[in-house]
Amino acid sequence: MILNPLPIHTSRFGGCTLTGALSVTTHIRNTASIVHGPKGCTHHNFSLLHATGLDNETVTLPALVSTALSESDIVFGGEGALLRTLEAVAENDVEAIFVLSSCIVDTIGDDVAAICNREYGVPVVIVPTAGFLGGTFQNGVANALCAIAGTAEPCPVSDSVNIIGEKNLEYEVEENYAEVIRLLDMLGIPVNIRYVHDITFDEIGFLGAARLNVLREPALMPVGNYLNERFGTPFIPSFPLGLSGTISFVEAVAGTFGIDSSRVVEKERLFQRDTLDGFSDLEGMAASFDPAMIDPEGVNSSSEVAEAVRMHMKKPGTSGVSLGPGTPVGTTGVRRMLHRWRRQLHA
Amino acid sequence: MPECTNPLWPCAMTGAAACLAGFDGMAVVIHGSSGCYYYPTTLLHAPLHGTFILEHEIIFGSEDRLNEVIGGLSGQGKRIAVITTCVPAILGEDIRSMLEKHDVILVDSPGFSGDVEVGYKNALSILAPRIDPDLCGVNIDGICLFDPFYAGNVQEITRLLTMARIPVGTVFSLDRLDNVQHASPYTIGTNEDFLSGVGKYCGGTLGFRTIEATFKKLNEVFADADVDRVFSELEQQEERMVKACDKYLLRFDPPSVVIFAGFSYAEHAAGTLERYLDADILCIGSRNAPGESKYPVEQVAGLDGVPSLIAQHNPDLVMGSSFEGSVCETRAFTGITPPLRGTVRLAPTPFAGINGTLSLVEQVLNTCMDKKPGRS
Repeated sequence: MILNPLPIHTSRFGGCTLTGALSVTTHIRNTASIVHGPKGCTHHNFSLLHATGLDNETVTLPALVSTALSESDIVFGGEGALLRTLEAVAENDVEAIFVLSSCIVDTIGDDVAAICNREYGVPVVIVPTAGFLGGTFQNGVANALCAIAGTAEPCPVSDSVNIIGEKNLEYEVEENYAEVIRLLDMLGIPVNIRYVHDITFDEIGFLGAARLNVLREPALMPVGNYLNERFGTPFIPSFPLGLSGTISFVEAVAGTFGIDSSRVVEKERLFQRDTLDGFSDLEGMAASFDPAMIDPEGVNSSSEVAEAVRMHMKKPGTSGVSLGPGTPVGTTGVRRMLHRWRRQLHA
Repeated sequence: MPECTNPLWPCAMTGAAACLAGFDGMAVVIHGSSGCYYYPTTLLHAPLHGTFILEHEIIFGSEDRLNEVIGGLSGQGKRIAVITTCVPAILGEDIRSMLEKHDVILVDSPGFSGDVEVGYKNALSILAPRIDPDLCGVNIDGICLFDPFYAGNVQEITRLLTMARIPVGTVFSLDRLDNVQHASPYTIGTNEDFLSGVGKYCGGTLGFRTIEATFKKLNEVFADADVDRVFSELEQQEERMVKACDKYLLRFDPPSVVIFAGFSYAEHAAGTLERYLDADILCIGSRNAPGESKYPVEQVAGLDGVPSLIAQHNPDLVMGSSFEGSVCETRAFTGITPPLRGTVRLAPTPFAGINGTLSLVEQVLNTCMDKKPGRS
């Protein structure tokens, strides 16, 4: 299937800011997210979040409220609909309201800020979205993380880390988090908050309490920079990826906390050797990476793993078995990726 | 329009895509952003194309981009249909004249124009189906890619028509595109929420009595039809079903039921459960505007209306989508309307026809026996 005959801009395929922002706001318990736009935009996102929740064996029913703009609202302006919706939602028992705008609202020029800046008796946080006019899915995630962080004030710092920008729509989100926790546990460092994954609005007040922020991926560096400016918290730009990436992650975290990581690194290297030994049957097997695998971090870490098990890799998409995209988080992620490779190679 | 919490039904743009993408020989282009493209693509599992417009195309015009995408699709032997999403629909661009050098069908179906049924009907009307009076056959309508039972419905109704020696006409909307212009003079339905309005309507296929009445009509129209075979199977299968229901009623009280679905499917489920299980139909929460009903019925557009209706009636059995499945707590649940997430569905299960009714009752009996409603 050709999705687009002449792709020029990769951002064309970047998805909607609304979806990205909602993947963040809906993970804050006891809050509501208002989507200012037609009902369909909210349904699409609600359905996606619901499906993702079921995939992760959780019943996800976030409170997404649509201002349900009709054709006449589009013609005469939708600010009245937003005001009415904010007043109605504020009557509910919610700790905060997030307001996200759709592309149609940006096009007709509703003054969303003017409506949101009124007093509703509950914090109202505007998340800059504007559908595709605000950028891509990734922009939506970053904008939401920054907008919500703006509600927190600096606070006393403890020896802990924040996990920043987990991919809440990712199928293996919990497994990736568990791998990071495994590594942090070996260093004796606790997590302050998962920003944002299934937390309360109150917890956000402690966002500045961590000594280090661990970003999920380098694309979140604008968020890392913002949090650094606001709270003075340094960051590591990515979860641990691949074999050497996992070791350097451990060393970088330990370095921030002034911990000697040599014993933890040695233990992890041993774990990696044991893991690779379990896949010695892959040695010499010919394969190539799927050309769709464009993420440089993913390519590098996967290439390193292939080299470590002495596979015979050819140019992407040329010949042999085409191995699918993979961004293995930690040594456990490497092991799971190798299992998938083995299945593909033996299929 | 009042605000709506967690809207349960897709927009008109999705409905238009669901209609058009069902026709083989059609290349469907969503003229809008990637966000608007991804939802119908994942929901319908159909090959759709997109213009994936960006901000500068909103400011400076989308003509070049549209021509780029349409140009890439031209020459593939397919008719191209362009569906406008919300923003392109209000920009004031004359898309029709922009595309005049291409043979393109333009469907103006922005999300704010209504729900899925509105877009479906709009798209089908733009295709302007035509009846070929010389054709001998029956069209099947009510088929919509949005419906998780669409493939099963087509198979089942085709099977029944074949059994009755009645040729199948055009399937609206799952057919070759050229068949839209050569529809048969008669039509039977699988889901009256998505009627085509093409040909003389001979009735639906939801429920045994409806099937019986519809095939009696078809017998009057088609001199060579052999509907007795259909009636014979119907009688046998109804007897089996009655036995299974009676066996259930030996041990359990009839279930009390709240049903959430499009009006047509909800009415069928209600009528079937009342007739064969003496079920107490407490309420129908219709996704779309309800018609006349002997049961209490109200339109439920947002998820917040679901738990309140369930709490108000306290049913043994809830029927609906996976949204309802998520909020019905420990009650028995049967999925009859999209989306049906969180469950593996591979076989083309019907909702219409003889097997559709059997499948519905089978699911209800199994889920109710698991939950044992009414058992003291």
